[in-house]
Amino acid sequence: MMPPAPIRRTALLILLIGFFLFASTLNSLAADPSVQVQLDVKKAAPRAVETLTERGILRDYRFAWTSMAQALEFNTFDPLEGPFSGQARQFLRQTVTSQQQSGLRRRYADQSHHVEAVFYAPEGDVIELHDTAQYHLQILDGDKTIHEENAVAHYVILMTPGADRWTIRQLQAVPQF
Amino acid sequence: MSRLSRIIAVATLAAACAALCSAQDLRAPQSAIAGEETAISTTGSGKATFYLVGPGVSRKNDATLGEDVHLAAQDIRTAGYYVAILCSDTCHSAGFYVNAAKPTSLTFLVHPSRVPVAQSDAVSGVAFAFDQFHNLVLAPVNVNFQLTAKDKDKDKDKASPLFSRSVRTQNGVAWFRTPSGKSAGPLQVTAALDDVTARRAVQQVASEPCNLRITGQRTKTGILVQTEPVHDCAGNVLSDGTIVTFTATGPQGKDTVDAPIKQGVARAQMDSSGPAVISAASGVVMGNEIHVEAQR
Repeated sequence: MMPPAPIRRTALLILLIGFFLFASTLNSLAADPSVQVQLDVKKAAPRAVETLTERGILRDYRFAWTSMAQALEFNTFDPLEGPFSGQARQFLRQTVTSQQQSGLRRRYADQSHHVEAVFYAPEGDVIELHDTAQYHLQILDGDKTIHEENAVAHYVILMTPGADRWTIRQLQAVPQF
Repeated sequence: MSRLSRIIAVATLAAACAALCSAQDLRAPQSAIAGEETAISTTGSGKATFYLVGPGVSRKNDATLGEDVHLAAQDIRTAGYYVAILCSDTCHSAGFYVNAAKPTSLTFLVHPSRVPVAQSDAVSGVAFAFDQFHNLVLAPVNVNFQLTAKDKDKDKDKASPLFSRSVRTQNGVAWFRTPSGKSAGPLQVTAALDDVTARRAVQQVASEPCNLRITGQRTKTGILVQTEPVHDCAGNVLSDGTIVTFTATGPQGKDTVDAPIKQGVARAQMDSSGPAVISAASGVVMGNEIHVEAQR
């Protein structure tokens, strides 16, 4: 037996609300598509990087940069909680605290990362990446832009596997590799 | 007309001179060391706002053009890229890198924590050098790896080196891989860099049993079976808890029981009143078979 029309409408409404809530949650969890990441694992040694591991690292590295950009633009800690750990999380939290005090913000736009795995530990518990990143960096004092540049930066990264993701433990800019 | 032109030219020159004389600029150091104070030199005259933006720091303060801006050690503790910005009418900036200081600690990962003896490439270690501010030291340094174990045939208190190698870091990391030793017991693994040492321990345990032998006798309640002391092929007693599976096959069918090794021997009581053939296995190793007569 079909339920009465008002009940059907209510059920449909609840379903629609649920769908939109679910979709918005997915969207907030997904990495920013404007962050382009290419990962090359051919030179990784002494352990070879398996395809699934490569995909996981790529996904989590991209998400980390999206999260870092959010944290440094809006001066919030929350985006740093998942993708970063150890020293990397500590210095990023310090950066956000310091920006909150000084009223500064940083905006990373048009990110493109060429990432190469240069070391993968024999037991797979740490990977070292070299990232040649290109992005447009804006530094703002309140709403006033005080510095902007199209930067090419080199980063040395240490990532370790967690229960369900790879996290960045070290993120260090260097003049060259 | 020519007089007016001269006036305009002089005024333009004066304005340009004034602009040049008070133009602010800044010069950052070529590079700096983490935790070591440095300075940014400025030119021009008057007041300006100085910003320092880098990893872990976002500083804003007033500056006097023409004077150096002092950067305290705590401003540049984190290695990475910094941007110094000076704003008065307009903003000028200069970037510089801060490099890690000298290494003061080692992060040392060793696997596994427990390993059977005489296995090839069974023990591995990875060492990263860090400075006192937890920056990864990328300049090459030599890390000395050493594995020592107590030799069961020699003096109990003396440890003999199994492996010793000096490895130069590449991209901040040094690593090794080596076979496990021949004797069960603790294996000390150390990584040393100048006066910095990191120690880890790996427990070496006996490998697969070698020549598993059992004995059995009938008792009032069934059959008591036990192994002789179980050793691996290098003579190490197998660890307590290693499982030995006893199987009794007789006219009434098959009966199986698992028994853990305790002090080198595994024992089990089997309920069987008829004649039985009893065998034992541990891991992939099979033992001998024994025949036990029926109960009288």
